[in-house]
Amino acid sequence: MNRLLLILWSLGPMLWQLYTSFRPNATLTGNPMQGGWTLEHYQALLGGNPPFWRYLLNSGVVGLSSTLLTLVVAVPCAYGLSRLGRKTARNVNVLVAIAAAFPYVLLFLALLQLARDLHLGNNLLALSLPYTGLSLPLAILLLQASFRDIPPELEEAARLEGLGLWQRLRWVLLPLMAPAIASASLLIFLFCWNEYPIALTWLSRADLLTLAPAMARIAGASVFTVPYGGFAAATVLGSIPLIVLVLVFQRQIVSGLTQGAIKG
Amino acid sequence: MAPALLLLLAVFALPMLQYAWLSTQAQTVLTELEPQPVGLAQWQRLLQDGRFWQDAFQTLRFGLCSVGLELVLGLAVALLLNQPLRGRTLLRTVSLLPWALPTTVMALGWRWIFNDPFGPINLLLAQVGLPTVSFLGDPAITWLSMVWADTWKTTPFVALLLLAGLQTIPADLYEAAALEGANRWQSLRRITLPLLSPYILIAVLFRLAQALGVFDLVQVLTAGGPAGSTESLALYAYINAMRFLDFGYSATLMLAAFLLMLLLSGGAVLLWLVSRPRWAGGQR
Amino acid sequence: MTAAANTNGSKGALKLQQLGRRVGRQQLLESLSLTVQPGEILALLGPSGCGKSTTLRLLAGLDPASSGQILLGDDDITATPPADRGVALVFQSYALYPHLSVERNLSLGPELRGTRPELIKEDINRVLDLLQLQDLRHRKPAGLSGGQRQRVALGRALLRRPRLMLLDEPMSNLDAKLREELRAELQHILRSIGAPVIYVTHDQHEAMGLADRIAVLERGQLQQVGSAEELYRRPANSFVAGFLGNPSINLLSLRPGLLIGLRPEQLRLAPAGATPASTETSLNAQLTTREWLGDRLLLHLSSANGPLKVMRPSSDTLAAGLQPGAHLEVQWSRGDALCFDARSGERIEPS
Repeated sequence: MNRLLLILWSLGPMLWQLYTSFRPNATLTGNPMQGGWTLEHYQALLGGNPPFWRYLLNSGVVGLSSTLLTLVVAVPCAYGLSRLGRKTARNVNVLVAIAAAFPYVLLFLALLQLARDLHLGNNLLALSLPYTGLSLPLAILLLQASFRDIPPELEEAARLEGLGLWQRLRWVLLPLMAPAIASASLLIFLFCWNEYPIALTWLSRADLLTLAPAMARIAGASVFTVPYGGFAAATVLGSIPLIVLVLVFQRQIVSGLTQGAIKG
Repeated sequence: MAPALLLLLAVFALPMLQYAWLSTQAQTVLTELEPQPVGLAQWQRLLQDGRFWQDAFQTLRFGLCSVGLELVLGLAVALLLNQPLRGRTLLRTVSLLPWALPTTVMALGWRWIFNDPFGPINLLLAQVGLPTVSFLGDPAITWLSMVWADTWKTTPFVALLLLAGLQTIPADLYEAAALEGANRWQSLRRITLPLLSPYILIAVLFRLAQALGVFDLVQVLTAGGPAGSTESLALYAYINAMRFLDFGYSATLMLAAFLLMLLLSGGAVLLWLVSRPRWAGGQR
Repeated sequence: MTAAANTNGSKGALKLQQLGRRVGRQQLLESLSLTVQPGEILALLGPSGCGKSTTLRLLAGLDPASSGQILLGDDDITATPPADRGVALVFQSYALYPHLSVERNLSLGPELRGTRPELIKEDINRVLDLLQLQDLRHRKPAGLSGGQRQRVALGRALLRRPRLMLLDEPMSNLDAKLREELRAELQHILRSIGAPVIYVTHDQHEAMGLADRIAVLERGQLQQVGSAEELYRRPANSFVAGFLGNPSINLLSLRPGLLIGLRPEQLRLAPAGATPASTETSLNAQLTTREWLGDRLLLHLSSANGPLKVMRPSSDTLAAGLQPGAHLEVQWSRGDALCFDARSGERIEPS
């Protein structure tokens, strides 16, 4: 009973969107029990200019590049912090945790100024810079906890065998951190995919929009005469990649979420 | 390590410093978008700005209500998921979905669900002969719709966090309590809540900070309306910067929102510190 | 540093000169001087926290020395980075790379050091044969027993062709039976390296069974170095006397300012009231409990000077027939008794 309630509460709104997206607009505002099914909303979205998949692609590009960049920057930092004394690391970590919880929407104005000064607007890859900065705190906390979980003897054994720092990271430490790296990557990717205010202010060209600002633009525009069928189709298309991601990687996502909170 | 910490400073600390400086400047169309020092004028303006106070109240109201609701529901879900149920993993995955979706995507979805009279809730109400509810058109109700949508999205996060906390509580504590004759409610109050309190604190702090910075949801679901009744501080700051091109005041607003957040978070930590000895009976 | 180049060269003696390490106010190791010859096995023995692991880490280069020098052959390696010392260390936890197979565990180091692939293959096959690990080469550490893991760790150290071999309690994760079986084999392998070997343990049997000499450490200070027999017969102080020997030595204060050390196995029993021979001393005692250990009997007695343990062969009819509460005489030849200064613990030659 409780379980059913939870499933209904979680899935209900999504299922309603799915249902709506296949219904002709006329039936949505008329008698809901009448009328047939239609694919016109999806056709309109995918045939639009730019086509809807473009936004998904943009989000994917930004998500991947930001995730990669974040890992490149966060791994050495996490390693360094994990090798500091517990006390020092703790103090640094408090600051990092505060940054992780910081409502970053408040940063948009300063970051926008940055984009203007450095001419980084309307550039998907440049968007990775603020995203990396914003994802770093969580990545550092997660990876650092994972570095600390590796017994120090393993690295000492590698040192005695003559492995340099990068060799130790590449062959010994990082392979052991694969689960943590997967968790961190997924959370970073999710964040970048969903990020709104910065994408909104950094991107203005329609063909460069990522999913979140594109959705807002669809919501604000009246290109759809009675738009709710179109809206629903957009939410469905915008949700599918993430639903797949969650279904496949729920274990990693959950462990990342909880580890990040507990160790942070 | 250095590049990462530098980037962190650049992204988090520098903007705050920039705001602090910008909040003493006027930078509008009137100054041809060049900053001009005005001392504390922006702050005086803030104190006399009715819209700021209204938005601050609305943001607080939204934050406290949604975080409170998320805690209660999250704890319920966590307790449910902590039981050895069949299909627990699937249940966990399903309940995680709302959290993973982009806020803007589902905000658009909620706009349709809250539609009057064609949204499913109102259809249902009409079916049983009740009057429909203007979820998005009534200043007294719309903010509650927003709380609803936010609760739907973020309860999974709180639930998972609390679930992780629940799983650290050894089962023999409950067995010991049961042997001493404690009922379920008593063991929840005497064992679960005290031992869970650090996790609750983390959830509250994180969620409170996020909720007080609410922006995506407001902008897409209500655009601050009706009649500004759901406008948040972040949205007001955004509008000042992007629509009124009043950058100095926007920075001032954001600093004010940040200070408010610090105050509240500090309050939550204090509350926890004060109540901890009572809860834990000085055991831990 | 030439140390790296010498890895495969002639092996020299290890010399520690007043080696010390302090962290903050804590002196973990104080002025340790020792020499270990190539092919010699020296056991560092002591209770936990005595400084034996500290010493090992200093030798491996994992921690810096605060004072003193480490000489290996003709090189001063005190400040040499661990990788360039030609040192191999078998960790207590074995520190095998959990994500790699046995074979890759062995080959990773040589590969990344740039050893020629044919050479690595040859070496690994030799080591796998020697340690009887051929059948396990594709397994991951998680699929190995404790003894097998130990052999892999040992193999990794052997592949290093070390100029100095260090082992940190390599047996402590194995069960007692396996430990005894492996001792002879391990000793044989360690000797075949031809380098100085330092073997850290808190188990006196292991130290006595494996090592040529034993260095006893306590609170960061070297108490005594010598063969097992020397340490047993002529312990430098009451700590060494008490640490070696099982059951441990009886320390009685029969005279003011003096502690008399009596090994349980050197005590004899006589009926109460019996007079000792002229070379012997006797003490009246009462039996409290008795432990039957197969071929031997361990008797716990109480006397006016404190509790006393006596070890007798099971064939001792007097000991076997005693009931708890019985009074008897405990006798020993005066030559066997060890005398220690009650204050300093130093052993005093009986005058």
